[in-house]
Amino acid sequence: MALVIDTSLCVGCGACVGGCPNGALELVNGCAAVNEDACVLCGVCVQNCPVGAIDIRRETASPDNTAQHRDVWVFAQRSEGLAEVSLELTGLARRLADSKGQSVTALLGGGTQDEADVLIAAGADRVILGVQPALQNQLEAPYTDWICRLAAQYKPEILLFGATAFGRSLAPCVAARLGTGLTADCSVLDIDPDTGLLRQTRPAFGGNLMATIVTPHHRPQMATVRPGVMPLPVPDAARRGEIITDSEAVAAGLVELLEEVRSGGGSALQKAEIIVSVGRGIGQRKNMKLAEELAAKLGGVMGVSRPLVEMGWATQDRQIGQTGTAVAPRLLIACGISGAIQHLAGIAGAETVIAVNTDPNAPIFGAADYKVVADAADTLRALIDALA
Amino acid sequence: MEHQIIPYCDLYAAYLRDESRTVGTADSISFPRSEEEVRQILRMLHETGTSVTVQGGRTGLAAAAVPRGGHIMATGGMDHVLGLRQENGRFFLTVQPGVVLLNLRKMIAKKEFPTAGWSSESLTALEAFRTASAHFFPTDPTETTAAIGGMAACNASGARSFRYGPMRPHITALRCVLADGRTVALKRGQHFADGLSFSLPTLEGGAVEGTLPDYTMPRTKNASGYYAAPDMDLIDLFIGSDGTLGVLTELELELLPLPRICWGVTVFLPDEEAACRYAEAVRAQVDCAAAIEYFNSGALDILRQRKAQGGVFATLPDLTMAGDGAAVFTELHCHTREQAMSAVKTLGTLAVQCGGAAEKSWVARTETESETLRHFRHAVPESVNSLIDERKRVYPGITKMGSDMSVPNGRLLEVTEMYRRTLGEEGFQYASWGHIGDNHIHVNILPRDMDEHTRAKQLFLRWAGTVTEMGGAVSAEHGVGKLKAPFLTIMYGQAHIRQMRQLKRLFDPKMQLGRGNLFAVEDEA
Amino acid sequence: MRTIVCVKQVPASNEVRLDEKTNTIIRDGGEAVINPFDSHALEAALALKEQFGGTVAVLSMGIPAAADMLRQCVARGADEALLLTDRAFAGADTLATSYALSKGIESLGDFDLLLCGKMAVDGDTAQIGPELATRLGLPHVSDVFSLECDGAAVTVQRTLGGCVQTLRLPLPAVLTVTRELNVPRLPSIAGVLRAEEAEISCRSAAQVGADETQCGLKGSPTQVVATFLPQRTRTVQEVTDTATLPAIIHHIIKGGA
Repeated sequence: MALVIDTSLCVGCGACVGGCPNGALELVNGCAAVNEDACVLCGVCVQNCPVGAIDIRRETASPDNTAQHRDVWVFAQRSEGLAEVSLELTGLARRLADSKGQSVTALLGGGTQDEADVLIAAGADRVILGVQPALQNQLEAPYTDWICRLAAQYKPEILLFGATAFGRSLAPCVAARLGTGLTADCSVLDIDPDTGLLRQTRPAFGGNLMATIVTPHHRPQMATVRPGVMPLPVPDAARRGEIITDSEAVAAGLVELLEEVRSGGGSALQKAEIIVSVGRGIGQRKNMKLAEELAAKLGGVMGVSRPLVEMGWATQDRQIGQTGTAVAPRLLIACGISGAIQHLAGIAGAETVIAVNTDPNAPIFGAADYKVVADAADTLRALIDALA
Repeated sequence: MEHQIIPYCDLYAAYLRDESRTVGTADSISFPRSEEEVRQILRMLHETGTSVTVQGGRTGLAAAAVPRGGHIMATGGMDHVLGLRQENGRFFLTVQPGVVLLNLRKMIAKKEFPTAGWSSESLTALEAFRTASAHFFPTDPTETTAAIGGMAACNASGARSFRYGPMRPHITALRCVLADGRTVALKRGQHFADGLSFSLPTLEGGAVEGTLPDYTMPRTKNASGYYAAPDMDLIDLFIGSDGTLGVLTELELELLPLPRICWGVTVFLPDEEAACRYAEAVRAQVDCAAAIEYFNSGALDILRQRKAQGGVFATLPDLTMAGDGAAVFTELHCHTREQAMSAVKTLGTLAVQCGGAAEKSWVARTETESETLRHFRHAVPESVNSLIDERKRVYPGITKMGSDMSVPNGRLLEVTEMYRRTLGEEGFQYASWGHIGDNHIHVNILPRDMDEHTRAKQLFLRWAGTVTEMGGAVSAEHGVGKLKAPFLTIMYGQAHIRQMRQLKRLFDPKMQLGRGNLFAVEDEA
Repeated sequence: MRTIVCVKQVPASNEVRLDEKTNTIIRDGGEAVINPFDSHALEAALALKEQFGGTVAVLSMGIPAAADMLRQCVARGADEALLLTDRAFAGADTLATSYALSKGIESLGDFDLLLCGKMAVDGDTAQIGPELATRLGLPHVSDVFSLECDGAAVTVQRTLGGCVQTLRLPLPAVLTVTRELNVPRLPSIAGVLRAEEAEISCRSAAQVGADETQCGLKGSPTQVVATFLPQRTRTVQEVTDTATLPAIIHHIIKGGA
């Protein structure tokens, strides 16, 4: 298991040196050399090498019985009814299954027949409806037990979860129990036409780099999928499917739910059609009301970048970004936001972005449709006047 | 070019004030973008003898940028970086006065500058700069949106001035347009006074000639009045002149190599006297100290209250271990880790000797840890400002009453004892913090009503007298501006103020520039 | 009370650029730092030690240089530090990492609480905590923003979608924590000096009894087959005359874009 550099191919260009996240490569006598104490075998250099001189030599564990596994499964998460991401996943699973000539199964714990019908209309061929009381709450232990038992019984080839807080916590429990791989936060999933493997593409290094990952020898191939990235399927009420009711006991686990309180925050931003967002470039706190005023004029909502929350100028529920709310408005007017990568990840779903910033090189412009190099507060004032 | 002078209207209300939170009046305003525009505007205003207040980032605390009628010249649009020069491995950056410190730092750290219009020499120097080790500009006032021009005009300082001095030594050349439109260009080491008499040529021909004031400047950190000394380099006359001699249009700054190790150590001590003794010991024994900063128990109390209230201050580190004592922060700039570790050890020993404990301290070695300490230090003035703002709602006349006086080495214990005694006699609530390494502590009185506000003003005048007797300066870093003009009279006396005014008249015969700065307006007639 | 905290060394910056001449990826991660979320986990452990007494052990898997980060943890108050370092660990995905860490945890002996940061900022997977809990057969809660302990059980809170759950777990248990949980302390002079002298144990796969086929690249079910820079999906149009902005906005709102 090692990084192998073919010195006969290496041209000493140094592309691997600059790209190494761990500073593990250097040029020695005009040829790339690896410092094994620093190398973590991440593979960036293999991609970077223009002449194919670097490779990671794998001694793969013997493949398990991958052939026994088939079908695409989705975990249909509920929270006050069926979560939207469950339908997105079902639609995605339908496309993946179709390209492999397989069927789609949705796992619905603590749900209703009506919800099962909705999943079928969205593309599922089969819904396994868990009616055990322990599945009424979003707790990892009973769900892990339930899903792992079904997976052992039916042997799915692919198992998908929504990358929600619960999904991101539950999926690794299932993966560890099943001893398989799990790729987090995928934004693109497709089937490799040559190998039939699920290609799982996800952001790495805070979204600055994309990585495509496969799980060649372990089943199921597991991934969590970002909510809001996959399109909602058009329901087809004519679709027919099978509903299997499952009531076999599950282990409840040791975590006891004492209380669950709805907080409901952030939903205004999430659903907003028009958002006026402001960042540090707004200058003074009092200018915040300009953004509110413009948002109100346009029938939209004001959002903010993380620094303003940290400075106490706005509350957390206003925050847009990876650690705040991911938004998908028709129009986003970003004022005085420089565009940290975490913020850009949160606005990726916006249809049209107008960015206003005094710094012509601000990263926000890389994610914008319209670039306005100007002071945020001045522009807001002008827009409020013009739209009066 | 008539349009360059815009009649004042409410749109420009922000230009009537600065961080001193005092508000002035104005009749017109201009936003020049080049030295030539500055010259044209000044020539026009010179004909009518209109007074001109020059503004940078309006972050000053002495109201030097607050207009007193007449014209506002806002230099924020002059924000170009003009070039880079390399000489004997040292780097010099030429900027317009409106460049903001924050942006300057970013450009230097990233080694990326907007190079449109740069000469080939500058571009060559930039290539060399990119391959050189990391550099920085050392002057670090709290307000990072300060403009370089304003920082030069008030000879700004910051925490790191303990090691690197104020702006003055880092300015190696400047250009300045005088009130009548003539221009002087000075390079450090080029134009000297002959004793106290001087002759400074202008680019348009002729020279400004005269005599410098004959006072002796205090041997402390000082930003009080004109820099004047026999045989002085005349460039120093313009640095710290509070916008009263001309309009700075170009500044050349020397960039310094960034020290490899930059650590911060905060030590908690039982009381102010212990803190003073500790600071003096650090000054004497830790040669890699770049900053020595103080926070009294009043300042820590306010921080604790603000942290409990949540919001941005909620992320401040826990202050329980401070008890009702004080804190001293030392920044260490070192070449090697061993040197830094040995300094940390020494700080621990000194803390124990002064009644503290090695456990009651914070060491910041990573960027995250340093950021935590920076947040802590900046939260002190911010939380005091927000407290004052709350009181202002009840008593609109109340402003923050912050002192800016320094004393020579050896007088720290004496001056802090004097502050404590007199503050106690008046029964004031106060918070003090600042540059204890330079014997320069900002005492901030927090008036609870207008009577206290008035008495605080009177107390500061008394302090100005005592500090002058100790050989100190009435304004060590904020400049004199308008707010501290009365202190300057106490420090130098009427005769020397007259000499300063005569000096100003040589450069600005109609007394147009910076009306109210250094000299009270009523003296000017 | 004995708490084990899993920490990871990450690059200070996630910046990635594309060298347009060579079409290769250039990273400038800057200095290596402790994963910020793990800092909050360590703080929680130190606070529990202050409350109940006991010890705090920090555990990491990484290159030998990660010992410096563990030393910083000792400076902040950890009593014991273990670094799993071996070529056999290189190239591990989360399943192989959680395996190696579980062996390290076994070698550290009995404990009451295992704490991890919510996720590592360079990987963003948030999988290690739940995978460890599953491997160790212990109850777990992820993304905890409030934590109370009575010595026998912990009561924690987390946000799931639109609701806040309050949960109770008997010890021993596994938690992953968010930044909101606490404010990490800074090390003291005494701590820094103590850490300089402290021993950081470094162990290989064999030394913790790990099966090499389950470690590193060999033990990782997932394989990275390609890395690339995100495609910019938008073409930006510069608006030089801001007076035209209102018209543009009207156009977009009416459905043009």
